[in-house]
Amino acid sequence: MSEEQDRELRKTGAGLMEYSPEGIMPFGPVHPSLKEPEYFSLLLEGEKIVDVQARIGYVHRGIERAGQDNTWIKNIYLFERVCGICSFAHSIAYSQAVEALSGFVVPKRGRYIRTIIAELERIHSHLLWLGLVGHWTGFDTLFMWIWKDRERVLDLIEAITGNRVHKSYSTLGGVRRDLPDGIAESMKKEMEFIQKRVDYYSELVRTEQTIVVRTRGVGRLSQDAARRLCPVGPLLRSTGISRDVRVEDPYAAYDEIVPEVKTSNEGDIASLLKLRLDEVADSCRMILEAMAKLPEGGYKIAFPRVVPRGDSVFHVEAPRGELFYFVRSAGSIKPSRVKIRTPTMANILAATEMLKGHTLADVPVVLTGMDPCFGCMDRLSVVEAGSGREWMMNGEQLRTFGIEYYSGKG
Amino acid sequence: MGRRRVGKAFGEMLRMVWARPVTVKYPFEPAKVAGRFRGKLDIDPAKCTGCGVCKNSCPAGVIEMVKIGTRKVGDREIENRRPVFDLYTCISCGQCVDDCRFGALKLTGDFELAVFDKESLVMKKALKIVE
Repeated sequence: MSEEQDRELRKTGAGLMEYSPEGIMPFGPVHPSLKEPEYFSLLLEGEKIVDVQARIGYVHRGIERAGQDNTWIKNIYLFERVCGICSFAHSIAYSQAVEALSGFVVPKRGRYIRTIIAELERIHSHLLWLGLVGHWTGFDTLFMWIWKDRERVLDLIEAITGNRVHKSYSTLGGVRRDLPDGIAESMKKEMEFIQKRVDYYSELVRTEQTIVVRTRGVGRLSQDAARRLCPVGPLLRSTGISRDVRVEDPYAAYDEIVPEVKTSNEGDIASLLKLRLDEVADSCRMILEAMAKLPEGGYKIAFPRVVPRGDSVFHVEAPRGELFYFVRSAGSIKPSRVKIRTPTMANILAATEMLKGHTLADVPVVLTGMDPCFGCMDRLSVVEAGSGREWMMNGEQLRTFGIEYYSGKG
Repeated sequence: MGRRRVGKAFGEMLRMVWARPVTVKYPFEPAKVAGRFRGKLDIDPAKCTGCGVCKNSCPAGVIEMVKIGTRKVGDREIENRRPVFDLYTCISCGQCVDDCRFGALKLTGDFELAVFDKESLVMKKALKIVE
């Protein structure tokens, strides 16, 4: 596309769909099995991506509104269901926002246990992501291995909280149950195992060509772009900007169990791989440290049904980045407003920036790279700049295309 | 150039070949769940007093209080109520178990909740006790 054409396109301002001679394509973006379907329209020049338009909001479920009809305690179980992977991050963000409103202080043991579960969740989320990168690059063996190791973390979570995914463990004023007897030994064993595996995977993703060819230099996000588009979490840290809510505004027991903020300067998917593996290793260290320092005493306090009038804002570092909760109370048994900003919402613009300049074959890896809660890739429409031809590819076709494109180039 | 280093994961692959299978033969062998696993809800009708706290605490709206008779307190007629649980919509959070001060409720390790008939998951056990 020439400069002039590009300028013309931008002048229209309304985006890619109107530029297509075929007009706006009717598109069924909601896939019932996916949690977060998103729609990306790619403007291609040959096979190079020139521009990307993201459209979101297909699964607006009205959770925030539903929260206004529930009592404070019932809302924990509702907001936990915003995300199936970082459910505990949601429940502690909400609980702590409400606790801040009422002025009650959670016992130290409760805060430590919250830290332990939050870090276990970070490990399982990062390992899940790593397995998915393996899957989308065509290295399914890595996917199987990592998800096998992740099972052990999930078993640990199940032993403590009673469930693998929706933990329902945090409550207003602490956690619902104490740690089970004998968990310290199994925790130590599993964490040492995970640390050993993380060392192995770090070496593997650094040297194994199947991964290196598909990730090094792919999906690069510059520091300037990061400052402009404000991504959060590992995506931001991979550009060299050191931001972590756990350090900057410690909640739970992070003031005593201090995380080491990892950054890298490359800003590509390869550096994200290394960064997330380093974070997993650091989480293992923090869990062992928290288990060693675990104070005696109560783990929860009785919490009143009515929360005093006021506004409260709380943010936590979910595995994908900063998760933000705003809670408003009118002094009754129900919240009068709850607003949630999830990390993927903040990262979506950065993901469109990361895609520019890469080829169509890189799309699955780059979109996985931002850790988008699964849903993004299954619906893609492709617009070819020259002819205005538009067609659709689903996730599986795109994956096969990517693997074929790169076979023989390793 | 990269081809030379492709066998990086080979050692691990060999190790996995001799490792114990991870797959669980679940439908043919009983699956194990953790001790704290939150499965199907169960009620002990003898302990239930029909106070209705579980109904107020349920986030999924599973519990309905049903009138099973009346009793006389002084010269007033008071309704006797017992909970009926629609376990088809139960999210197994366990809030009712936490809130029941009589210890009548508990979550069992039973997780096989796939049924042909939704009605078969409506638990009316508590209605059988008539005072």
